[in-house]
Amino acid sequence: MARDWQPDFEQLFEEHQSMVFSLVFRMTADRGLAEEIAQDVFLELDRNLAKIDNPLHARHWLRRVAMNRSADALRRRKVRGVDLWVELDENHGVQEEDRGSPLAARLERLLCSLPEPHRAALVLRYQEDLTPEEIASVLDAPLATVKSNLQRGLKLLRAKAEGHLTEFVRTRARGVSIDGRL
Amino acid sequence: MDGFEDRETGAQAEFEEQLRQAMERRPAPPSLRQKVMDHRQQRKAERSRLRLIWMERIAATIVLAAVLSGAFLWRSTVQRRKGEAARQQVFTALRIASRALDQMNRQLNRNNREDQ
Repeated sequence: MARDWQPDFEQLFEEHQSMVFSLVFRMTADRGLAEEIAQDVFLELDRNLAKIDNPLHARHWLRRVAMNRSADALRRRKVRGVDLWVELDENHGVQEEDRGSPLAARLERLLCSLPEPHRAALVLRYQEDLTPEEIASVLDAPLATVKSNLQRGLKLLRAKAEGHLTEFVRTRARGVSIDGRL
Repeated sequence: MDGFEDRETGAQAEFEEQLRQAMERRPAPPSLRQKVMDHRQQRKAERSRLRLIWMERIAATIVLAAVLSGAFLWRSTVQRRKGEAARQQVFTALRIASRALDQMNRQLNRNNREDQ
């Protein structure tokens, strides 16, 4: 059967570069690595362009490969024994120019401290607005696992966010009172 | 109790909304496009170079096969011609021998008749 849709690599790149980069960046928390992985993902797409049937398939394929590659990179990093969070703080984490509101930046930073399966589910849920069924399909995981990861991840993130927010308010209040005394 | 649950649900929804806002897609770095396109170009060039090498190999194989089969055909033609010439020579020799034998036979018959 002849296909009506012919994949155009440059168009697909333009449409999905931000999605792929954001997914990988939020998974790895490293701009340089994210750029490298995003590059690999698109080159892989170029190699497999003939197998892509339609725009939806392309998007699903890109999400899936981006998440797999990110997981591989995290695994390799773990094997190499690099402490992601130290590296995140020191080098590549959420940079000043990337930050929107301070709260958003804080949430994004806290997200990086979650375990990988929780983070993957949350990124796909809140960045890509996918349903648990779609997330399960992208991650090739059972639906129940995805639902549990979403629930636990959200709970963990909320607890961390509340703790940080209380600390943040306390620090600021202390700062104001010191300023007031001065 | 219902009031607490309502507040909790509201807080959860608010948190999820904040999370959604915090997780907006980021623009990819401008260098990504350049890098991807450069790599793609390089790979295309490499692929066409490899294709050319393969085509050269195939062409060389075809030429070699043609030369070898030509040589084989030429050799078998030469051998066939040599065989044909040898057969003709054998026939000629047989014809000469047969004629000589006939002559001898005739001579013997004539001698026999004279003796009788």
